[in-house]
Amino acid sequence: MSFGGGGGGGRGGRGGGRDAKGGGARGGQKDAGKRYFFRRRKVCKFCADKIDYVDYKDVKLLSSFVPERGKVLPRRMFGTCAEHQRKLTLAIKRARNIALLPFAAD
Amino acid sequence: MSDRVYEILFIADPNLGEPEVDALTEHIQGFAEKEGGRIQKVEKWGKKRLAYNIRKHQEGYYVLVVVEGKASLVKEVERRIRVTDGVVKFITVRVDEELRKAESRRAQRARVEAKRKRPPIPRPSAAEGEEVPL
Repeated sequence: MSFGGGGGGGRGGRGGGRDAKGGGARGGQKDAGKRYFFRRRKVCKFCADKIDYVDYKDVKLLSSFVPERGKVLPRRMFGTCAEHQRKLTLAIKRARNIALLPFAAD
Repeated sequence: MSDRVYEILFIADPNLGEPEVDALTEHIQGFAEKEGGRIQKVEKWGKKRLAYNIRKHQEGYYVLVVVEGKASLVKEVERRIRVTDGVVKFITVRVDEELRKAESRRAQRARVEAKRKRPPIPRPSAAEGEEVPL
């Protein structure tokens, strides 16, 4: 609760690090609240691998874009480009139709 | 009108034996051929687990038939498949356009690649002396 300050606080040693959330530490250092996000730039897998035709029969590929429950996830999750997301969605729907992918897993 | 390419993927009843599935596949190929279709490919995937139950089946025997033919072929073949016993579910997908597009993409990419590999044309060396400061 008190300021860790000198030696007392034990683990709070590195002030202003990533974990600036530690409650009481606020105000100790000026930019303690500054958090850095390192976001890897996501690249569309289909563009990177040069897949022009998203095949609905390729379960292995599709299931890497579909979570367990079988939802189609938004683009931001995988970083697919708009064009390939469209194709992916269509492929998933086709695959669902023929029971290669689930509609909604229970 | 040129012919189109269709993929007919169907699930056969898993209780059928191997020879029966073969017979069924040939039966369906026969439908397509009767309508003036040409079989391009037949692929048997074998028994696979279904993602969900269809007509109380948990697994099914997947067979893929790729046919080239007219649009009217699909209508007739689908109608016949529907009245055929042993087919749990099927899907027909037209693939020629998509594949053609993918092909032209690939060709385009190959062209760009080839261009990049060609050594650059040597410029007249007028600008060589002075370095352009950034």
